[in-house]
Amino acid sequence: MPLAIYIGRRLVFLLVALFGVSLITFVVTRVLPGNPAYLIVGVQADESTVEAVIERLGLDEPIHAQYGHYMRQVFSGDLGDSWRTKNPVTTDIADRWPATIELASAAAILSIGWSVPFGVVSALRRRSLSDRLANVASGLGVSIPEFWLGIILILVFFFHLDFAPAPIGRTLGTVPPEVTGLYTLDSLIAGDWGALRSSLAQLALPAITLAITTGGPLLRVTRGFMRETMASHHIRSARALGVPERSIVLRHALPNVLLPVSTMAALMYGYLLGGTVLVEFVFAWPGIGKYAIDSIAASDYAPVLAAVLLSACSYILVYLIMDILHFVIDPRTRT
Amino acid sequence: MSPAAAPDATAPPAVDAQPGAAAAPVLDVADLTVGFGSAAKRRSIPLQGIHLQVAAGERMALVGESGSGKSLTAAAVLGLLPEGAEVIRGSIRLDGEELIGASERRLRALRGGSMAIMFQNPRASLNPVLTVGGQIAEVIRVHGSAGRKESWAQAVELLAEMGIPNAARRAKDYVHQFSGGMAQRAALAMALSCRPDLLIADEPTTGLDATLAQQVLELVVERVAMRDASLLLITHDIAVARSHCERTTVMYAGRVMESGPTASLTGDPKNPYTAALLKAFGTVDQRRMYAIGGVVPTLLGELAECAFADRCPQAGPECRDGVPELRRLEDRRVACVKA
Repeated sequence: MPLAIYIGRRLVFLLVALFGVSLITFVVTRVLPGNPAYLIVGVQADESTVEAVIERLGLDEPIHAQYGHYMRQVFSGDLGDSWRTKNPVTTDIADRWPATIELASAAAILSIGWSVPFGVVSALRRRSLSDRLANVASGLGVSIPEFWLGIILILVFFFHLDFAPAPIGRTLGTVPPEVTGLYTLDSLIAGDWGALRSSLAQLALPAITLAITTGGPLLRVTRGFMRETMASHHIRSARALGVPERSIVLRHALPNVLLPVSTMAALMYGYLLGGTVLVEFVFAWPGIGKYAIDSIAASDYAPVLAAVLLSACSYILVYLIMDILHFVIDPRTRT
Repeated sequence: MSPAAAPDATAPPAVDAQPGAAAAPVLDVADLTVGFGSAAKRRSIPLQGIHLQVAAGERMALVGESGSGKSLTAAAVLGLLPEGAEVIRGSIRLDGEELIGASERRLRALRGGSMAIMFQNPRASLNPVLTVGGQIAEVIRVHGSAGRKESWAQAVELLAEMGIPNAARRAKDYVHQFSGGMAQRAALAMALSCRPDLLIADEPTTGLDATLAQQVLELVVERVAMRDASLLLITHDIAVARSHCERTTVMYAGRVMESGPTASLTGDPKNPYTAALLKAFGTVDQRRMYAIGGVVPTLLGELAECAFADRCPQAGPECRDGVPELRRLEDRRVACVKA
């Protein structure tokens, strides 16, 4: 069972990675200046009240003891409480992660949708119009900062053209009854077309922003792999035996390109799932990224740690799933 | 045509009397000149007036050192010149049909149909993510009316014919599961799948060990003969030409230096380049390895003198008075004023 061994090894790796991530984040948040006890009791509180809070939170313990305590909590499914929102972090995340998943998924679909086909087509003919356009598009996608692009899109499409709705969260209408937590899907399920339109309109600009910035590198990679594949010996051989160009591209070249490109796309999606901090901030999107930013500003340890862990988890898990898929799809990994 | 007679140094000069005679050659390349760059900005002219005829059922070796234009000639025949290269003049006829200027559609039908090719490095020549049988079956489908099932059955049959054990099961395998020798057998099966009149084998044994190379070459010769097809064997090794081909064409710097029956050409080379090549491959008795001094000239423009003049031990002033014509001499054609 090579697949089982493979997955087992990957899971061990996942645990090691999570241990490292949690340790680093824990230490970093603890050594940062700022005392959360004041946040809880207020700056006017007297010394003894602050001391009491510090003791109750265990902040007077040595850092390794605090870490051990935290990890025991995490493994029992408790990510601690947010001092800022007064909620258990798990509750806060359950509220916010669907927003991030919705944005990340929409962005990933758009990103893959434009960049991969474009990369394939532009690789077919050097110095063609599509090749030149791809150069420009990937260059821009790679070099434009996403927060800047987000602001520009807001300026143009909301402020000047009044084409897009105000960038204030996930919907301006009614929130559909929760099934998946994704407003677009939920309003579809509920058959609420008004809510669907509103949530799609809210989703459009941030998703497009991310699709442009993540699509740039994806386009570049796709085009590179496609060029390489089209120049390979087996493509030359297929051509030399009269295989038509359509089959050369779709049947002979594309699978060879999609294997590595799908890995890239999975990494991109994993990255988006961890919360797109800057874009969520610009569009006031109530997702994990914004939650993490707000918590950092408030020296709120537990949510920051949880957000980082979640981000690492989703990244590694998506990568793992893609890896397993490749293991099944790619004939070269079977023997 | 007896396939077993292949590795024989005294191959019969049977088809020799042919040029201009009764049967039209399967492949007739005349004055083929190929250049890189456009007419206004010519960067190089790597093929300068190639003449090459392969008769029906004949095995022709195309011999020359690296950079002499052997593979480019094959690419031109297939209509698959690399980007930036174009045919400046000349003609390529396959079964009497002019290929220069033929439509891409027509060329595609001929490639893998009437003419087929197998390359060196067979493992790289097969697609890593498609099954070996599937790739052969596709070529069969492209060139005929066979359906999926039928083409698959034919692919399996071909693999078995090429000596692949368990062909039905192996057809479902991928190229990484094939050894180099097995992959070359599969490539041969694919190339012969549509019964071509001409098989071009471009250094088919490069990268295979000596015994395997011999086996594969014998298989190629045998299977081509079985189909009454012609073989154009591209090789840098004149010894390979000697043991497998009835006729040999020697190329140097984008030109044909000498062409004729292999036995007489290697026994009594008329062109000093052929002689030097034979010497370099140790087919002539000698103590030390012989190397031809100097390098192949870069063909930036059309030559004005014999391309080999700079390296030729017999060169004289007359060799500099223009490019020597490829003229008929006894049983062959030679491009040398001294011959």
